[in-house]
Parts: sequence; structure tokens; C-alpha cells
Amino acid sequence: MRSIPWNRLRGRNNEGVLVLSIIAFSIAVGISTPSFWGWPTLLDLGTNSLINLVFAMGVLLVIVSGGIDVSFMAIGIFSGYAVIILPNATGFGADYAVVGFATAALIGLGLGLLNAIAIAGLRIPTLIATLGTQGIIRGAMLLWVGSKVIPHYPAGLDRLGNDYLVTVHSGAAATRLSVLIIPAAVICVLVGLLLRYTMIGRSIYAIGGDEESARRAGIPVTGIKVFIYVFVGVLAGIAGMMHVTRVGLANPYELVGGELDVIAAVVLGGASIFGGSGSVTGTVLGVVLITLVKNSLILLGVPSTWQRFAVGLLLLVGITAQALSARLRRRGPALAPGVAA
Amino acid sequence: MSSAEPLLIAKGISKRFGGVAALQDVSFDVRPGEVHTLAGENGSGKSTLIKIITGVHAPDAGTIVFEDQTFESLTPRQAIALGIEVIFQDFSLFPNLSAAENIAISTHVAERRKVVRDVDSRRIAEEVVSRIGIRLDLDAAVEELSVADRQLTAICRALAQEARIIFMDEPTTALTRREVQALFRVVASLKERGVAFVFVSHKLDEVMQISERITVLRNGVVVANGDVKEFDRTALVRAMTGKPLTDTPPSDSVRADAAPILEVEGLTLAGHFADVSFAVRPGEVLGVTGLLGSGRTEIAESLFGITPADSGSVKIEGRPVRIRRVRDAVRAGIGYVPADRLTQGVFLDQSIARNIIAGSIDRLVGKLNLLRRSAASAIVSRGAKELRILMPSPEAPVRSLSGGNQQRVVLAKWLTRNPRILILNSPTVGVDVGSKHEILDMLRDKAGEGVAILVISDDVPELVAVCHRVLVVREGRVVDVLEGDRLDEDEIVKELVA
Amino acid sequence: MSDLTERAVQRLLSERDLVALVAMGLVVLAVFSLVTDTFLTVISFQVMGFQVAEVALLSLAVMLSMLTGGIDLSIVSVASIAALVVAKGFAATNAATAGSGRALWLTVAFIALGLLAGVACGLVNGFLIAKLRITPILATLATLQILNGIGIAWTGGVTVYGMPNQFLNVGGGYVYHVPIPVLILLGAAFLTGVFVNRTGIGLRVRLVGANPTAARYSGLNPTRVLYATYVASALLASIAGVIIASRAASASADYGASYLLLAIVIVVLGGVSPLGGYGTVTGVVLSAFVLQMVSTGFNMVEFSAFAYQIAQGVILIAVIGLNTLTQRYGGAWRSRLLRSRRRAAATGDPSTARTQ
Repeated sequence: MRSIPWNRLRGRNNEGVLVLSIIAFSIAVGISTPSFWGWPTLLDLGTNSLINLVFAMGVLLVIVSGGIDVSFMAIGIFSGYAVIILPNATGFGADYAVVGFATAALIGLGLGLLNAIAIAGLRIPTLIATLGTQGIIRGAMLLWVGSKVIPHYPAGLDRLGNDYLVTVHSGAAATRLSVLIIPAAVICVLVGLLLRYTMIGRSIYAIGGDEESARRAGIPVTGIKVFIYVFVGVLAGIAGMMHVTRVGLANPYELVGGELDVIAAVVLGGASIFGGSGSVTGTVLGVVLITLVKNSLILLGVPSTWQRFAVGLLLLVGITAQALSARLRRRGPALAPGVAA
Repeated sequence: MSSAEPLLIAKGISKRFGGVAALQDVSFDVRPGEVHTLAGENGSGKSTLIKIITGVHAPDAGTIVFEDQTFESLTPRQAIALGIEVIFQDFSLFPNLSAAENIAISTHVAERRKVVRDVDSRRIAEEVVSRIGIRLDLDAAVEELSVADRQLTAICRALAQEARIIFMDEPTTALTRREVQALFRVVASLKERGVAFVFVSHKLDEVMQISERITVLRNGVVVANGDVKEFDRTALVRAMTGKPLTDTPPSDSVRADAAPILEVEGLTLAGHFADVSFAVRPGEVLGVTGLLGSGRTEIAESLFGITPADSGSVKIEGRPVRIRRVRDAVRAGIGYVPADRLTQGVFLDQSIARNIIAGSIDRLVGKLNLLRRSAASAIVSRGAKELRILMPSPEAPVRSLSGGNQQRVVLAKWLTRNPRILILNSPTVGVDVGSKHEILDMLRDKAGEGVAILVISDDVPELVAVCHRVLVVREGRVVDVLEGDRLDEDEIVKELVA
Repeated sequence: MSDLTERAVQRLLSERDLVALVAMGLVVLAVFSLVTDTFLTVISFQVMGFQVAEVALLSLAVMLSMLTGGIDLSIVSVASIAALVVAKGFAATNAATAGSGRALWLTVAFIALGLLAGVACGLVNGFLIAKLRITPILATLATLQILNGIGIAWTGGVTVYGMPNQFLNVGGGYVYHVPIPVLILLGAAFLTGVFVNRTGIGLRVRLVGANPTAARYSGLNPTRVLYATYVASALLASIAGVIIASRAASASADYGASYLLLAIVIVVLGGVSPLGGYGTVTGVVLSAFVLQMVSTGFNMVEFSAFAYQIAQGVILIAVIGLNTLTQRYGGAWRSRLLRSRRRAAATGDPSTARTQ
């Protein structure tokens, strides 16, 4: 039996540990740089993490189901870039940002369908399948959609990119929290509800726990997998669109290469790479932690060239901790594996 | 109890796979509230029959009648809708989900629910659990539950689906004797409500305790069926194999005057066993038995270096040996045939040849760590011949062999090293009766050659048939040693159940 | 992973597939020779020779880790670290302007240092995977990041130049008209082949990959095997890194990043099973050559490099997907032949279905 209060605090996916880490880290940084303790930090955190948050929600679904996806950034940038090019090329969707986002989501859906076919239809292992689709999507974008940076935006998107929810002035500088945080937050809540309260969500956990048993229980495994990868595509399209909006420039060479940051966040957030566990709360905390670390490095004056190293180190610490705690748990009563002892 | 009118009748079922007839004109029926044992060695067709009845396969001929409906074939959904459920050996549970959710999930799926809350699952689970009067921690994740509790969860899940017939594949293999009795109590209470059980099992003694009828399959044909009261073990085994079971008493291979090959003194591993001492002479077969969790496997595996002991001494041929790793044990001349053949014993998709030389790699490398091919082939042929492995070619994957032949491969792996001490853990589980006899005969032969043999087992007839002495382990300590007159089945069972 | 995929992937490895690979190669050769007149020339093959070595070595590195049932994602970073060690060494000692004697021994010294750095990275991977028991995909994901991060921090994001001619000869020179990188590749491939197929430790690698538990119960020490695997993998990657640096006459933290996808395509096409235990060096090397021909051919008919990237993805999905499909609808006869009647009944035991 479990001792209730301690375990509840810790959270099923070690969310408690994450919260403590974030607090500890903040204190450490705050001591050396008191300017850390201010609204700008929080707002920056929000603005810089919201895009990865949306990506991470999709990746969370994939990882819970027992798979892994490395193509979502490619889907994101394809969708975002295509949407920017479209109005310039055809004049469609120039005025309303919503149209742009909807189009991006639709493109993401289509690209996600590629993954769905490869994984659910052709039964290709997920890492290999998404490596393949990443190549195809990226190549296709650069080849057929365009490979140039586009600085001119349709009016609606321009406005959205500059629309801020909160603005804080500190002296001459002003820090802003992009209004895009709202749709990002809404998406997180929706995914959380999906995972906890819908059969689709519970089925995803079931598939991650034991795919064969899920089949035997009557769960439509193939259908759910199609849903997952299409859903990831939609989210990736939206996130890509958000990125492109915020940056104000459509650069097709961006985003790809940042997959590891998102996957690291999901894994840090407690999701097991083998599937079957993970939560929105944990993932959000994971993204927050990584963004916090990256922002803090800048604040501390560490050159940005150390960012990748820092995230890698964080990931390493996280997975080492997970592996060690798993070993400790395993050193329990049943030493000898197997059916009969 | 069981009324006369059958619930399910499978009539004249035939099934071929490729050119091979798995089932020929098999008829099988199940009455409400009965416990019916389906027996047969590997290859008898019992798995195929179950798969046909539960809708995984369609028969080539024959019909399935359930109550008043007749079917040419079933789909899994139809079978479940009718109330035919099957619980495989792995229970098909979701280790990461709670027991309550595991129990309720098939119901949710069947009801085509879109939205589901924890309370919904709990409600369903609690209803089932109270229906059969057991206690289960519904909030615990299944991976945290004991094997027996997992099995109960699986049964609850079947019941939540209003199961009328529950097929259970090897239901008692992973349970302690106490847990088996608990299971049978649950089965008995469900029988009274008209739920029928079909047990597929090798453990005839146990299931015959609770079954009313038994059907025996051999080579795809029904060779015997009827009330359990009409059968005794010998008759059953004969029906299953066509060969009578000969319980040969152990040979006089024990060289009583020779010094012991293996001496164990005060072996202790915190939390698992303490102060274990025994000696094995050349030619002796020592049995080690005890309930699941008594420490019997841990003792064996600590001698083999899998989980080395904290303290105590081990002497082989008079010389003290420190076994910290498997390599130390192997070098000292110990071989180990593990209990779980498929995950611990063989490399399923590798060739038979590679499996056999897997234990001798250190002896097959020459300069620059290069393998000596001819020496390797020699070992493979020797092993295959000595163990009489039935195989198309040494390059065939082990997966293609029957359980009995796979076990021979594992034995060959160690015997080709000429071990001084051979430890076997549940050596004939999942092995057809024919191979079982041959393996036990081979053990006796090896003992005759002067090898010290340790057999960890809870198969009482097997222990009596081949061991000279039997150690009884309880809660990590050796509580008794049975030999001579005291070494018989009743005595062993008494010790175990005590 | 589904039973179906597992069998499909294993089907990739029978000898027939090596023949199929050779056939594919010949087809590619024929197509491009017909379509352009510069393909089938000595020069063209020499150019391909220069280009193929680095990615083929990376593929061999991936193959080794896949044989143990894992995957080494960090190889591209290991390669770039090795390259950086060499480049930074040259920069620090002004090797580019040194006299030929000194330049020669500096070249040898720094190459050795670069390889050593790679081996160190391999040891780190080995430690994480064998001792800490972190699953390989996560462990190498982390080291990929960390090594890349070290590279970026070390160079400040800037490419490092300045190399002596002796070093440039490694990646650009010939021996009797054969490009040196090809010789290095063939040598490394030969040694890897011997390692995998003829040595005791190679056999242990396969067995540990096929079933780590059974390996343990057979007295094989998975720890040693895993260390050996990841060190060997890193060594191959560092050789690749040295060649890359020599050909580019420079080194950067991000070189070779796009090779990961290509390496995996090559390995899968060459018949290595991602599940462990199966694969041949010949298949991987052949596959690397075939894909190099495709790349060069694309170049000659002026398909964009982006088209090549698309092609890589398509080939990857097509090869595995096709095998799964034929297994499902056509390959059934094979699996049935393998299954004797006895085994069909024995598969009532569901632990055969999951070998994850």
C-alpha cells in the first residue's frame, strides 16, 4: 500500500519534484540576479514557452501512446510558412488571422495524416516513420513551397503578432506577454481534459500500457493512432503558425532542430518513453523548467551558445534521476523475474 | 451447479493451417456453472480450439451453438457479446492503469462511451468485486498488484462484461498454493451463479480438484472426455501422450562415499533467504521445493551469480568459491536452466546453433577474440545429438521448436560445457509429457555420470521421480529434508501446505 | 512493437535481400547512366567515393548500436566533436603554416586525439546505458544535445579553419586513383565485419541485442558488451568526423547534422533490424553506395538537394512499409512453414508476442 499524502504531493509523474526543481532553480538564480524577481521574468516565460507548450501537448499524446515523433517541427514550419506564402501568392486569407490559423491547422492535419498512414497503416516503428516523414515534409517545403525568407505579412497576422495581453514597463524597457498565451492555455486545458475524461484519452493510456491487450479489449487501436497523429499535426500547424506570427518573419529554416527541446520537456515532465504514463501538468512544468533555464542563462550573462548544452544537461539529469528511481523501486520483493519463483 | 443443458456446444470443428490439421472433427461442450478442464500437451490443438470459440479464428468446418443460436464462426466481438471471455496467461491487463479502470474499460468500450470519469470505472468495479466477495485495492495501478490480485482483476473484468463462460489459460501456474485455493473459492462461488469455467492446464492435480468434466485432446482429436471421477492420473497421462507414466524411482547413482561436489554453508541474502546449508554428492539429485516466494528460486539464482548472497560460503569440490557474477559460477562449473524459458532461457529468433554455443563463447575464442568455427560446430552437433533435439537444421530459429525441444536446447547449452553442477528451475513446465520423460531420464543419466544436480520445482511427482533427497524451503529457510521413506508425494504436499 | 512489424523487419535480412540490394544498385546505375553521360565515368565514381565514406561510417556506427537493440543518436555530435578537436588543435598550433615534417606529425597526433575524444564520448554513452541502465534512445538523445552544446560553446558558433595539407590529403587524396576515404571506409568496414561476425564479442553483441535477459542467464555480461558497442560506434563516428573535417577543410559544431536521417535510411535499407540481433556490414556498405549513387544522380539531372531529402524519407517508409504489407498479405506462407503444428498450439503463450 502507498503512504497517501507523500505520494499525492509527489504526483504520479513526479510533478512535485518538478515544482521543487523550478522553485529551487528560481531561488538560485534570484540570489545572484535580483532582477529575476519581477514581472518581466514571468511574462518572458509565458511568451517564450507558449509555442513549445502547444507542440509539447501533441508530443505528449504520442509519447503516452508509446511512440515518439520527430516530425512535428517540420509540420509546424511547413504550415506556418505555407500560410504566409499563400496570401502573397493568391491573395487568400489576407485580413483575418483566424483564417490563417485555421489554414495552418488544416495543413497540419494533412501532414499529420502522412504520419498516421505510415504508423497506423503501414505499422512502421514510430521513430523511423517520423524521421522519414520529417525528411519528406522538410524537403517538400523547401522544394515546392519556397526556400526564401518572407518578411511581408498579411495585415491580420501582423496585428496579431503585435497584440499583447499584458505590458509591463520597467524603466525604458517594456516586456510584453503575447496574447497568444490564451489559445496556448486553452489548448493545454483541452488536452488535459481529453486525456483524463474521454475514452479516447484513456484508450491512449491503454495502448501505451499494452497495445495487444488494448486490441483484445476492443479498443480501436488503429483508429486511435490515426487520431493521435492527425491531432499532433493540427497542433503542430497551430504552433508553427504562432511561431511565424510572433517572429514576424517567415523563415523556412527555423524550428527544425528544436524537436529535442520539446521531447526533453515531455520526458522531464514525467512521461515514460515506453508509454503509458504522462500528464499535462507534468509536461507544462517540463516546458516551464526548460524555458526558465534558457531565459535565466541570458539573464545571468551566459552566452547563448551554452543554451543547448544546458538543456542537454538538464535532460541528462532528469533521465538519470528517473532511471535511478526506477531501479530503486525495482529492488523490491520480487528479485527473480519470470512466472514461477 | 451444472444443469444438464449445455450452454455452448462446439460441433465437429475442423481447422487446417497450411497443410497441417490443427483440429479434426472436434466436439466440445460446456454446461452452465460447470468447471471443465481442457487438457492436452503442446500441439494437441487446445489453443486453436479456444481461439475458434473466442472468435480469433474461423473454423473450416463445424458449428458453434450458444444457447439457441447457431454460428458458423464468431468474431471476437460476437463472442464477447455472447459472454464468452478468455483470460490468457499474461491476463491482458494494462499495468499503468488502476485495477478499477482495468475492470471497467471493456465495458466502457462496449457501451461506446465518449466521456468517462473515475467514478464510473469505480462504480462498475465495486459492483463486480462485491458480487464475488473479494478484496482488491481498486485504486492501485495493476503493475503494483501481486500476480494473484492481477488474476482476480482479470476475472473481474470478464465478469463486468457479463461473462457466461470464462476460459482460463494455465490459471494456476503463477500462483502459490494458498492463492490457488483462494482462486478456487472464487470459482466455486461463481459456479453457483451459473458461470462456467474452462481451464486449460498442465497442472492436472490442481484443476482436477475443482473440475467436473475433462476433455483431452491429442493431435487435434478428442481422445477422452467425461466426468473427472472416471479418470485417474495415469489414465489421463496415457490419454494425453499415449504412453503410460512410469515413475521410475531414482537410480543408485549417489556415490555415498565420495566427497560432496557442492557444499553450501550459511548462505544468506537479506530479505530472501537465510542460513541455507546443504551438500550435494556426485551423482546425487537434490530437489529444492517450497511455495512461491519461499526463496527457492533466489537460492538457486544466488548460486548461479544472478543475485549473489550477502554471506555464507560455497565450496566446489572442496575448494571455496566466490560467486559474485554469473561468470564466476559458469567458470566454477555450474550450469543453470532457468524457470522462464522464453525470456530467460532461449534467444527465440536466433538459430539453434547460436543458442547452444551461447554458453561456451569463452571457450571458443582464440587469438584476437576470433571464434573457432569448427570447434563451435562440433559443440552444436554434440549438443543436438546428446539431447536428441528434433530440428530441421541447426540454423533454424529456436522459435520454430516446440517447448520440449526448446528446453533441450537450453540443456544443450550447459551440458556441452560438461558442468560439474547442474541447477534446473521448473525444468518441465510447458514441456510435453514425452519430452518431460526424456528430460528426467537424461537427468538421471547425468547423475549416473557423477554430475551433481539441483532441481528446483513444485511439481511433486517430478520431484519424487527423480530426486534422492528434497529440501523444503519456507520463508527463506530450509525447514526439512525429505529422503528415503519420507520422500513421497503426500509427504511433500503436506510440508508445502503446512 | 507489433509482432507483424517484427517479422516484417526480420524479413529484410535474408540473403535474398542482399541480392535485391545489388539489383537495386544496378538499376540505379543503369538509369542514371542512360539519363546522363557523365555518370558512368571514373571521375564521377571517384567523386562519389569521396562523398560516400563519411555517411557510410556513420551508418556502420548506427548498425552497431542497433545490433544490441538500441540506437545511438549521438553519432553526428561525436563526429563533429572529433572534427573540432582536430581543427582546434591545428588552429592552436598553427599547423596550416608549419613545415611539412612538423605538419605531418601534428596531423597524426591530432587525428589520434580526435579519435580518442570520440572514444571518450562512447564511454560516456556506455556508462549511461550499461551502468545507469538508461534506455539507449533517451541516453543518446541527451548526449547528442550535450555534445552539440559543448561544440557550440567551444566554437562560439563559428566555423574553425586552418588545416595543413597533410591533413587535407586524408579526405582529398588518392592512392592509385582510389580516393583515400574509400580505402578508409573499406578498412573500417572490414574490421567491423570481422568484429561482428567472427569474434566472440560480436556474437555476444548479437545475443545481448536479441535478448538481454537470456544473455545474462547465459553468462554473457551485458555491461561489457554495451560498453564495447557504444565505444566502437563512437570510434566509427569519429573516423567519419575526421574525414568530414578533412574534406571540408574546416569544422563546425553542426556539421553532419543532416546525416542522421540518411544513416538510418542506409541502415534500414541495408537490412539491419531496429529490434536487435540482425544486420550485416555488407548490406550497410552496399546500401550506402546505392544511396550515394542516387544522390549523385539526382545532382547530375539537377534535382535539388531537397528532392534527395524527400527521396530519403520516401525510401525509408517504402522499404519498411512494403515489407510489412507483403508480410501481411503474401508472406504468410513463410511464417506458416516455419511454424510447425506443435508450435501453433504452443503460441497459446502470449509472451512470444511481445519482445519489447
